[in-house]
Amino acid sequence: MRLSRKIGRMLDSLEDDIRDHLERETRDNIARGMPPGEARHAALRKFGNVTRAMEDTREVWSRVWLAQLLQDMRYGLRILFRNPGFAAVAILTLAFGIGMNTAVFSVVHAVLLRPLACPHPERLVWIGDYDPNIKTSAVDGPDFCYWREHAQSYTGMAAYGPQQAAMVTPKDARQVSGVAIAGDFWALTGARPALGRLFGPQERDAVVLAWDLFEQGFAADPLVVGRSVTVDGRSVTIAGVLPKDFRFQFPMWWQSLEPRPVDAYLPLPAKDIAMGRTVNVVASLKPGILAARATAELDVLEKRAQEASPHYRGPATGPRIQPLPDYLTGAARPALFVLLAAGAFVLLIAVLNIASVLLARATVRQREIAIRAAVGAGRARVVRQLLMESIVLAVIGGAAGLALARGALAMLIHLSPNAVPRLWETGINGSVLAFTLAVSIGAGMLFGFVPALALWRTSLSGALKDGARTSPGAAGLRLRGLLVSGELALATVLLIGAGLMLKSFWRMYAHPPGFAPENILTMKIRLTGDRYSEKPAQEAYVRELLRRVASAPGVDAAGVSNWFLWDGVPFPSDTSPNQSHVIRLNAASTGYLQALGIRLLRGRWLGDAESGAVLLNRSMARQAFGAVDPLGRRISTPAPATVVGIVADLKYSHLDADPPAEIYLPYQQAPFFGGASVAVRTSGDAAAMGPAMRKLISGIDPTQPVYNVKTLAQALSDAIAPRRFNLFLLGTFAAVALLLALVGIYGVIAYSVAARTREIGVRMALGAQRRAVVRMVVREGMAMALAGLAAGLAGAWGLTHLIASLLYEVKAGDPPTFAAAAGALVATAMLACWVPARSAARVDPMVALRYE
Amino acid sequence: MSTRNPESRVELLQGTLDVLILRTLLLGPAHGHAIVKAIERNSEEVLQVEQGSLYPALHRLIKRGWISAEEGNSENNRRAKYYRLTARGRRQLHVETAKWEKLARAIGRILRPGGEEAQP
Repeated sequence: MRLSRKIGRMLDSLEDDIRDHLERETRDNIARGMPPGEARHAALRKFGNVTRAMEDTREVWSRVWLAQLLQDMRYGLRILFRNPGFAAVAILTLAFGIGMNTAVFSVVHAVLLRPLACPHPERLVWIGDYDPNIKTSAVDGPDFCYWREHAQSYTGMAAYGPQQAAMVTPKDARQVSGVAIAGDFWALTGARPALGRLFGPQERDAVVLAWDLFEQGFAADPLVVGRSVTVDGRSVTIAGVLPKDFRFQFPMWWQSLEPRPVDAYLPLPAKDIAMGRTVNVVASLKPGILAARATAELDVLEKRAQEASPHYRGPATGPRIQPLPDYLTGAARPALFVLLAAGAFVLLIAVLNIASVLLARATVRQREIAIRAAVGAGRARVVRQLLMESIVLAVIGGAAGLALARGALAMLIHLSPNAVPRLWETGINGSVLAFTLAVSIGAGMLFGFVPALALWRTSLSGALKDGARTSPGAAGLRLRGLLVSGELALATVLLIGAGLMLKSFWRMYAHPPGFAPENILTMKIRLTGDRYSEKPAQEAYVRELLRRVASAPGVDAAGVSNWFLWDGVPFPSDTSPNQSHVIRLNAASTGYLQALGIRLLRGRWLGDAESGAVLLNRSMARQAFGAVDPLGRRISTPAPATVVGIVADLKYSHLDADPPAEIYLPYQQAPFFGGASVAVRTSGDAAAMGPAMRKLISGIDPTQPVYNVKTLAQALSDAIAPRRFNLFLLGTFAAVALLLALVGIYGVIAYSVAARTREIGVRMALGAQRRAVVRMVVREGMAMALAGLAAGLAGAWGLTHLIASLLYEVKAGDPPTFAAAAGALVATAMLACWVPARSAARVDPMVALRYE
Repeated sequence: MSTRNPESRVELLQGTLDVLILRTLLLGPAHGHAIVKAIERNSEEVLQVEQGSLYPALHRLIKRGWISAEEGNSENNRRAKYYRLTARGRRQLHVETAKWEKLARAIGRILRPGGEEAQP
């Protein structure tokens, strides 16, 4: 903008100039005796094409500017190649600094900035009905039906939910991770079939395959479209196949339950919805309708629906509307902002480091620059030249960083594809390239600015008079010291942030003694099809499964469990008669608790065939009975049962949440047994037992495949993938920051020692002990380090509360973490000072003095 | 002021306009029209400046820092832009003049081989 305005002004001035020229020529012609009209024409004729002249002039402006720029760039490259060592270190430093920022930005871009890949993503909303008891915002099926029929604010509304399905493919029987959909799901997501068609809203016995399942289960044979396949014991038609790149982003909580990508889409039967299955609801607002209005409409509809057919809704808070991208990625946002800030810190440290080295070199280059200024380069031109050198360096570093970021992203996506929503969309695209270029140029200008400023202020003629020898200006060294202190301050903040997260991890993994999740293999079963519709058949299957698994070689203990929530249960400790609670009932076989290593604290274990008896874990005992001893007392489950034992709490599903309060009852007392988790404690390598277990269990009934076979350690780790992702990145940032700070201190101290060789020689000649020299050098370095550390600790104290939401059982101002980080930094600084201090101590006073 | 037969006029060689402008401005600041007139007059009307290429050339020289432009008032109090030789431009003129003389001698040697060179 400013540039074009400047060019406009220049063009106006040029036009005036040419007009003046033509007027003079005309007057000359009149003086020669021409009539005025002809005089004007002759002047124009002689001048030639005015527009063309203006255009040619305009081209000169940009061409000269460009030519000088190219010249500066060439010069910058030459200077770089003259110091390959410096160039290599600087480029590597920048590659790390810029590469990390590029990687984080491309994640931020994919997750927060890029619109969802659907038609009109800006109109998509999530409609939730939050239930504080069970902490979910699912919608009751009947509500969805009523809204969809009566609401006016939407162009479409869809319900969906995760749906496991046992599918018999030509190759094998497998559990596919499916999504059951209803309403306008296809229209909202903009899905187009790659083969066949998408099933309609009234169809029941149809399935649409995702491309991966089509390839893996059906060998990508197009002829399977239209054929039938057995899903959960029923025969359904394969209506079509979705293209490879079709992916709809489902909520994060869903991915932590079902981390596998979606294999198939199934119709969600209207009967299920009407019977009260809870669903997730997305809708597309009509253009111009605001969320507030749409919410108000739903509130009205909700009241009317209740009047028409009253049903129990629990303590749900009423329908609320949220833009879909916010709902999907909102949870990842704080962490991403923290990572962005951390990336900026690392880059700033890198910039300070390079600025510090350039400052040292500027002292050496003063003479060269003074000469250039003396032969007429002009200060502005020299400064521009210096900036250009830095920018060339930064852009090369940025290019290397881009390569680094590419590799890092590929690794991140490979390691934890579900850590961040939409991570699979991440890549190096135009926006990311623009970001990297802008950051590179910005960084180059920043670290080029410091030495340029230093030169601007020094007297150039003085540099010439000074002769060949350049002394390290005390002011220059002080400035470098300041830069390095700044680096250390930033590194301290990063280190403390990473330390707090590391400690959170440590707290999460703080298992009770004896709990060894790596020795426990977990898997899931689902009993589907007509054969298992009745409970006796389900029980027979489970009994056979337990018999076979428990007697397999290498198995120490095995069991099944199936938990569900029960609402409206009173606790014996309730003070008012109307109180009720949601309880988590875990129908588990005795072997299950033993396989997990849950310890019995008091009382006795349950027998599998027992009835009317339950175990409580400690949290549940405290919640339900308060201070009263629960042993032998009755509790409603909702059938009354006697508490026969208390077991310890164990975090066996979520590492980053308190263990759930649970009531354990014998698995045969479960009201239904459609599916279960199987836990197997092994004496050997649990992961290696996976295939054998799979085979063993499919031997009972090949149409009922097991799925999610993994060690408990793996399952626990998968559930905290987002936290691991954050820790991994922040930890890397902190490590790089520490390394750069180390290099920074070392550089300044080594330079200072080299420059003071003579002074040190004099001191030693006058009787200074070597130890005193070491102490002097170390003291100089540690003064810088401690100043930076103090600033960093203060900064961290103010900043760490921003990552409080990412921590677990660790306070943002955790003193041990602060102390540990400070210790690590002091140790690093000591190390960085030690090497130059030792070389200072080895100075031979005779040599040092003769050297002059 | 005589007007010569157009055939006897010579188009400027590429790149020579710059040095002629510098040479003209050595005498003092001038506006665009005056520069053209001076070149034509001093070459006894032999050199024909293509006026349209004067302004790109002036701006090229400004960009290189060899001349500078300033707004001033002309005879009858109208705004006009004056171009002035800078110190760098003065040095450049020496360099260009030396170059030009070398080139002219070399071309002369080729076009008139033999002894005639002795009398320039």
